[in-house]
Amino acid sequence: MEQIFETPWPFWLSGAGIGLFVILLAWLSGKPLGVSGGFAQACDAKQRGKDPWKLIFAFGIPLGAFLGALAAGGPNWTYELGFFESEISQSLAVKTGMLFIGGLCIGYGARWAGGCTSGHAIVGVAQGAKSSLIVTAGFMAGGVLVTQALYWLGA
Amino acid sequence: MTRILSFLSLGALFGFLLTRAEATEYNRIAGMFLFKDMHLAGVMGVAIAVAAIGLRLLKSGTVKPLGNKKLDVQKKPYHKYQFVAGITFGVGWALTGACPGTALAQVGQLKVQGIVVTLGILTGVFAYLKQQKPPQTAEGAAQLGDHSPVAEAPAL
Repeated sequence: MEQIFETPWPFWLSGAGIGLFVILLAWLSGKPLGVSGGFAQACDAKQRGKDPWKLIFAFGIPLGAFLGALAAGGPNWTYELGFFESEISQSLAVKTGMLFIGGLCIGYGARWAGGCTSGHAIVGVAQGAKSSLIVTAGFMAGGVLVTQALYWLGA
Repeated sequence: MTRILSFLSLGALFGFLLTRAEATEYNRIAGMFLFKDMHLAGVMGVAIAVAAIGLRLLKSGTVKPLGNKKLDVQKKPYHKYQFVAGITFGVGWALTGACPGTALAQVGQLKVQGIVVTLGILTGVFAYLKQQKPPQTAEGAAQLGDHSPVAEAPAL
């Protein structure tokens, strides 16, 4: 049990788990994995329509994370941001402002792109979709440029 | 009810997998973008490879979804701003060390950053929908002869 809940899984097991999950979801329900659609359904009654499965799925995510942490003897409240605190700033205001603005970019960008890491980068790329390959290149380009700049300027 | 419980459980399984992959660890994401820690890149690579095989079997009809359900897995449409949209998301991914799925999983792990990022995402999605909506809604409302403000009231 300790192996499952407490020790982090190696990359190949984690990746296989997520890949198999995509297949399981599609096989059980016919639906493609996606999370940002759930956020859209939270914000818009029209997108919820008669079948708010994306929203329900999104509510399940924190639930599973919580139960997993519970099985590992946690969870405990924390507001710790790793490298960012050791190398850039420990200010609560800086951290909170940055996280909120980052969240804005994620939300706006995900809807504009038509999906996020799950829907585009995993399910879309797995289908070899042109849109998803381009979006995922954008995700990575934005992520690398900003992180490198942040740590270069901050250090 | 069964449907609600099914999707809730599936979401829970996905949230659990994200925490086990350590996709909810800020250092793993920052480390990947700094090219110092390729754990998550490996996770995504394996996930894509495994999903590609299964989705191919399902899409080709070799394996049918349970109960002969309609398979709703398609390539997403392409538009010319998609790279810029992707970069916008990537900027947020870098600033937060999270994406929509992992931010929600962090909420379950009682990580405060997950709550802040989730609120930010909701605001960003809302802003996008708001900016997309008025012309459509106004037009639709005019066509229907509906002038009630209800049509444009925020759903949150």
